[in-house]
Amino acid sequence: MIAANAILPRDKGAAPLDLVIGVMAFLAALALGASLIADRTALGWRAGLSDRLTVQIVPPTHKMGLDEEVDVALGVLRATPGIAHAAPLTQDQTLNLVQPWIGKDALVADLPLPRLIDATITPGAEVDLAALSRTLKQVAPDSLLDDHARWIARLKGLADAITWSAYGILLLIAIATAAAVSFATRAGLQAHHEMVELLHQMGAQSGFIARAFERHYFVSALVAASVGAVLAAAFYLGAGALEFAGVEAVPFLPPLALKFSEVPWLLAVPAVSGIIALATARLSVLAALRKIY
Amino acid sequence: MHRYVLSAMVRFENVGMRYGAGPEVLRDVTFVLEAGSFTFLTGLSGAGKTTLLKLINMTEPPSRGLVTLFGQDLSITKRADFPALRRRIGVVFQDFRLLSHLSAFDNVALPLRLAGRKENEYVQDVEELLSWVGLGDRMQARPATLSGGEQQRIAIARAVVARPDLLIADEPTGNVDPEIGQRLMRLFAELNRLGTTVLIATHDRALIEGMRAREMRLVDGRLVELRTGRAA
Repeated sequence: MIAANAILPRDKGAAPLDLVIGVMAFLAALALGASLIADRTALGWRAGLSDRLTVQIVPPTHKMGLDEEVDVALGVLRATPGIAHAAPLTQDQTLNLVQPWIGKDALVADLPLPRLIDATITPGAEVDLAALSRTLKQVAPDSLLDDHARWIARLKGLADAITWSAYGILLLIAIATAAAVSFATRAGLQAHHEMVELLHQMGAQSGFIARAFERHYFVSALVAASVGAVLAAAFYLGAGALEFAGVEAVPFLPPLALKFSEVPWLLAVPAVSGIIALATARLSVLAALRKIY
Repeated sequence: MHRYVLSAMVRFENVGMRYGAGPEVLRDVTFVLEAGSFTFLTGLSGAGKTTLLKLINMTEPPSRGLVTLFGQDLSITKRADFPALRRRIGVVFQDFRLLSHLSAFDNVALPLRLAGRKENEYVQDVEELLSWVGLGDRMQARPATLSGGEQQRIAIARAVVARPDLLIADEPTGNVDPEIGQRLMRLFAELNRLGTTVLIATHDRALIEGMRAREMRLVDGRLVELRTGRAA
């Protein structure tokens, strides 16, 4: 009996298309994974900084001493509604912060390092940072309030750039996949033109013939893209295993690892690949059939 | 005149046909196939028989002239309506055109499937028809494993299985022995008796002489009426 998908014979020459789609899906899944990691990491960074303030007091040029400015600044911070906590960093803590850049030999101790006050905003509280900055300037003229807005904005910009780059890559891969399937469909139509013409002459609706092709390429793309996505998932899970083992994949960058809860997102790659293949095959076949009388 | 047009299954008026910029292979062809008629189309090789059949089964549009099918002028018929018209025609191609990856059964069942029939509705019909053409024991065979004559019988079974309103056949008995040929002609005659309009292109004079049917002859692309008649 005729199986639903048996109208079109399985092409022996389909392996190269499967390989192309598999590689495309692997790259698409890598790009998607990268965007997920970038989003998650930027979110973490922003969450860690968004309720934090740092007051920096540079060595004074006024009559007030550094310690005195720190004390009055602390007083202002602690008296400000919405500030949950404010505490100065010790000299050692400050030295530790600059150590990666300037080392920690004896000369460093003589450098006129600023004093830092770390403050935390009560979650949900509204603090008028402009007014706070003005008040601090009045009582401690060498103070500088940093709410990390610029840094957060740059992090957001970086994360957005990575995410949009990933989307761009995904779009390019989708276009390339559609082009590959379109090419393969036309080749398939060419190879099976006698069969297509026969079905057409026997009164097959264009949709019936298109369904035979679209199902064929949908299944091919789904299987090939699944293999590519599984390999990409293995890559990210492997990176996670390396992180767990304490190996830093790329210094200064967040670990290239997906969480288990994020891996299912990669399933979107074979699903979308299948849909692209199906739609492309259908449109290609219908366009070709319109040219037949 | 009105009644005449309605009973016309196929109507050609001053039809000409050329491929590309080549010479006309059909010239001013005018004829009517009335509903329920049985007609032979004869002529030497290259006279235009296959081209004329192509115009009837809607494989090609004519270069000029009027072609109506089932009372519909094809030049103004919507493309979306073509498949339904085509499903009313059974065609036996000279080169069989069987699908090589399908069994004999599935090849014969194809028109029924295209018509949207469920498999359990047509299994018995297909099996009976394959038995009638002498291939009851080869139902699951692929075309490549069958002889030319057997493939031709499958092609004929495929053309008639959906009881088409119009059957056109291009040299349907060219590859079978005389006994099978006579049997197939009885099948065509039986279909004709049940109402199918039949047009057969053939060289086989014995076949033509054996039936009191109309004969149209193509000579250098022009149609000559040789004999009028009724279904045998």
